[in-house]
Amino acid sequence: MKRMTAGLSLLACLAAPAMAHYGMIIPSDPMISQTDGRSVSLTMSFSHPFEMAGMTLDRPAAFSVTHEGETSDLLGVLQDAQVMDEQGYTLDYPLDRPGTYIFAMEPQPYWEPAEDAFIVHYTKTYVTAYGDDEGWDTELGLKTEIVPLSKPFGLWEGNVFQGIVKLDGAPVPYAEVEVEFLNDTAGASAPDDLMITQTVKADANGVFTYAAPAAGWWGFAALNTADYTLPQDGTDKAVELGAVIWVRFEAWTGQ
Amino acid sequence: MDRPVIGPVNRPVIGPALRAAGLVALLSAVPLGAAAHQLVVFASVDCEVVLVEARFSSGAVARLGEVRVLDGSNTLLTTLQLNSDGTLRIPLDSVDHSTGLVIEVDTGSHDNYWIVTPDDIVRNCGS
Repeated sequence: MKRMTAGLSLLACLAAPAMAHYGMIIPSDPMISQTDGRSVSLTMSFSHPFEMAGMTLDRPAAFSVTHEGETSDLLGVLQDAQVMDEQGYTLDYPLDRPGTYIFAMEPQPYWEPAEDAFIVHYTKTYVTAYGDDEGWDTELGLKTEIVPLSKPFGLWEGNVFQGIVKLDGAPVPYAEVEVEFLNDTAGASAPDDLMITQTVKADANGVFTYAAPAAGWWGFAALNTADYTLPQDGTDKAVELGAVIWVRFEAWTGQ
Repeated sequence: MDRPVIGPVNRPVIGPALRAAGLVALLSAVPLGAAAHQLVVFASVDCEVVLVEARFSSGAVARLGEVRVLDGSNTLLTTLQLNSDGTLRIPLDSVDHSTGLVIEVDTGSHDNYWIVTPDDIVRNCGS
């Protein structure tokens, strides 16, 4: 009997969805025109976006916006919110001038017992205001980040998104990039768990390419192991560094 | 042709270069981003001045251009010339801004506009 229970448990483990963790910053709209108003609403979370399964996002270590080369600290103005039934944050940010605003979040290290490691996802997204896309390729200089080679907004579904994976400012050859869809309204289902999180690898220059099959928000997470450890229960544990960027693809309007 | 007016919600007003296309076309065209080297027009306001800025999507400022200032009823208030640095300062008390303003910039080959709503004026004048 014990053997059967153990066997079922093992099967349950094997059958568990390949859920990927994602830091998330989702704007109300990545392209704000003057008829949309004078601000953008942001929702921050830590979750499994395809399954819409939330996790607790503790107050981040840092949250900022960069516009025209200037970075402003927004950590103090984040509002507590429930996102996917878990702790998250919202922010309504005024867009005073045209240009690209890059919102970036450094979360607290998240201890993941199942992976026996900490997770730190440096997460960002780009919002353009009032028809001016200047700054769309801005590199923030984060510990790790995906620097866009495709404009990270204004993409049609089916377009490719390209970016360079960087760690400590240098491209990461053959970096592994996980890709996942924010399944908030589409009702998408995966024929196989392997299709919940897709994976592409960068080339020798750290450049990766992905073509989104449908409109919506897509998250790209380039994962690397940090060159430092963090203590947990008296033991040094590895730290997974994620460079996450959220990009929205728009529905094609032609016939 | 019926001309929309600025209301509590931002309502585009059609300028000469755009009027012919009609409101439906205008709404579908907002923002006018289809052309290469799109002209980006922006106007900020405080209690004294409307500062108009016009530059191309390449980052280059528009060095020449006609600036048409219309009120919320689409009545042309004044026509001015853009400065060579792509800006123009319009004293707020020189125009009737009670119904908002539409700032149209036309460089000859490109045009675009920015709507200054009454809310914009109140918000920025009060801050």
